[in-house]
Amino acid sequence: MKRLLSFLVYIFLVFSCAEEQDFDQFDDLSIEPTVASSIFYFESNEEIINAFGTGGFYEEVFTFEAFSDPNVSDRVIDGTITYQLENTTSKDLGLLIEFLDEGGTVLDSESFIADEEPTPLLERQVAYGESGKSLDILRNTTNIRVSGENLGDATSQSSQNEPKIILRSSAAFRVRLR
Amino acid sequence: MKKTILFLWIVLFGAVVLYAQNKQLLYDFYEIPQSLLLNPGVKTPYKWHTGIPLLSGFSVQAGTSGITVNDLFANDGIDFTTKFREKVINGIRKNDEFGGSGTIELFNIGFRRRNRPSDYISFGMYGEGFIAQFWPEDLAVLAFEGNANNLNRRFSLNHIASQGEAVNVFHFGLNRKLNNKWTIGARAKLYSSVFEFRSANNNGYFVTTQGENNILRNTLVADVTLRTSGVEEILDILDEDSNSTGADLASLLLRRSLLGGNLGLGFDVGFTHTLGRNSYVTASLLDVGFIYHTNAIKNYTLKGAASNEGVEIILPDDLTNFNTEIWQELIDDIEEQIPFSDNERSYITLRPIKLNVSFRYNFGERDLKKKNCECSTKTALRAENLDYQNAFGGQLFMINRARGPQAALTAFYQRRLANVLTIKTTYTIDKFTFSNIGLGLNLQTGPINFYVLADNLLGYSNIPDSSYASLQFGFNIISWNGN
Repeated sequence: MKRLLSFLVYIFLVFSCAEEQDFDQFDDLSIEPTVASSIFYFESNEEIINAFGTGGFYEEVFTFEAFSDPNVSDRVIDGTITYQLENTTSKDLGLLIEFLDEGGTVLDSESFIADEEPTPLLERQVAYGESGKSLDILRNTTNIRVSGENLGDATSQSSQNEPKIILRSSAAFRVRLR
Repeated sequence: MKKTILFLWIVLFGAVVLYAQNKQLLYDFYEIPQSLLLNPGVKTPYKWHTGIPLLSGFSVQAGTSGITVNDLFANDGIDFTTKFREKVINGIRKNDEFGGSGTIELFNIGFRRRNRPSDYISFGMYGEGFIAQFWPEDLAVLAFEGNANNLNRRFSLNHIASQGEAVNVFHFGLNRKLNNKWTIGARAKLYSSVFEFRSANNNGYFVTTQGENNILRNTLVADVTLRTSGVEEILDILDEDSNSTGADLASLLLRRSLLGGNLGLGFDVGFTHTLGRNSYVTASLLDVGFIYHTNAIKNYTLKGAASNEGVEIILPDDLTNFNTEIWQELIDDIEEQIPFSDNERSYITLRPIKLNVSFRYNFGERDLKKKNCECSTKTALRAENLDYQNAFGGQLFMINRARGPQAALTAFYQRRLANVLTIKTTYTIDKFTFSNIGLGLNLQTGPINFYVLADNLLGYSNIPDSSYASLQFGFNIISWNGN
């Protein structure tokens, strides 16, 4: 029986072949998808802006840990945050977005001025990574402060239907899964 | 030593991760007693047989569809990520799969009844199992490319389909020759499931679209279930990583193999019908049964629907909302809408039913002493039942799988060389390969029977480029009719 098994193994080894394989190639596999998501959305109607008079009409700090989550912060390579500002009110308005760390320190900010209507949609893309701002800004961001300022009067009314200021934002980041 | 035991268990486990799939070389190769396990109504030219314990039936199979090892790992100087994108991400489809299966027979005994020699009784125990992983095409694309450049594309969760098990089977079969035209058989089976996992019939999708308020909207609709039994216990032992891990694992596997796991019942049926002096048809239906999983169960579910456009601040509604934890609130909302939960509910799984059908034509008969009058139920002698010099025919195999039935079509040629050696060669087409040529040898020296059957021989010219391979062998002791 042992001889028979040896014979079969011998036959198998003699007649079977294998092209050279390099399994170490697997170490070179790079998986870097680009993931995209909306970040935050801010909207205020003109009535509220007028109610607060001129100057600041809104300021709030809220937690935002999407970027500081280790699944993102440890893997992010580069990316872009896109902002869209739309103003259909009858006054110039300013919006300030500040990225804060745990201690409340401002790491970075984006300031927007939107002219009174009619004004085109304002779009701004901010790059992060090698060709843009430091990724550490995002990695250390745990809070975002949104401030709104009325740069015009507090009485005029836009002729547009439901006049508002809207700030939209989204992020698209390349992350290293492997 | 303990590590050795653990290693052996892992090796055994790997080998026993099995469930017999197509065994076209063994089917109707009735010189080999294990052919009774593929058709309980096969011809039985034996007075009695006994398999050599642990060596009577051993088989392993492995297959991939859509890609081979060589496609990826050939030392060709091409950037691996490029190859991976072309061959895997863009090359493999959701119905392509990676699978392995195997069988190890612990014992197999058969004998002809003295008071009713038309009956041949056989019984035994074998372990079998398999792993089949269908390629999650959409999720692979999502992981490789991301959603940013795939707006409006629905990534289907239905592509998640995975299944595996190890089960020990106790069986008892009766084969009866009704007359010279008909031989029928049936086999009862008691299943003792060692472990099982299964995720199939999932639904849902992930899609990124233009947002209603914000720029983008991510939507996840999920109805995904993973059922497991026995797996948690094994993982718990492996997690302990103590000095007794190997022994504990061996003890657990042994207990669950010997009726200490989840139990089930099933049966096989089959027949051989002679059409004329030289031709006959056979058919068998295997593993019609179920396993009722009641212990060591852990099921996981992800069910619900949620859409997300990021954090929203809308005035004046949010002027009075002083909750600044709106990010965590968003996460909590999504987790509430699509809860990931587990339970320990019992469940039933049906066995993967297999169908075999064959037609065979014998020619070049040897000079028989008796002519077949098709009127007797007397057990034929070996020389009569092995009444061919050559035979050819065709076989159809079908199996019910997670993604519906799979089929394989086989043409075969068989030749006897004296009473010592029988050779069977097959050509099979199935989802794995269109060039599967197999070869089986059955050697009979006195009462000792040895067989070895190997598939896809062309693949051995470059094993890594082969998409399918299988090997079966075994030893038996056979006493033939009339001896």
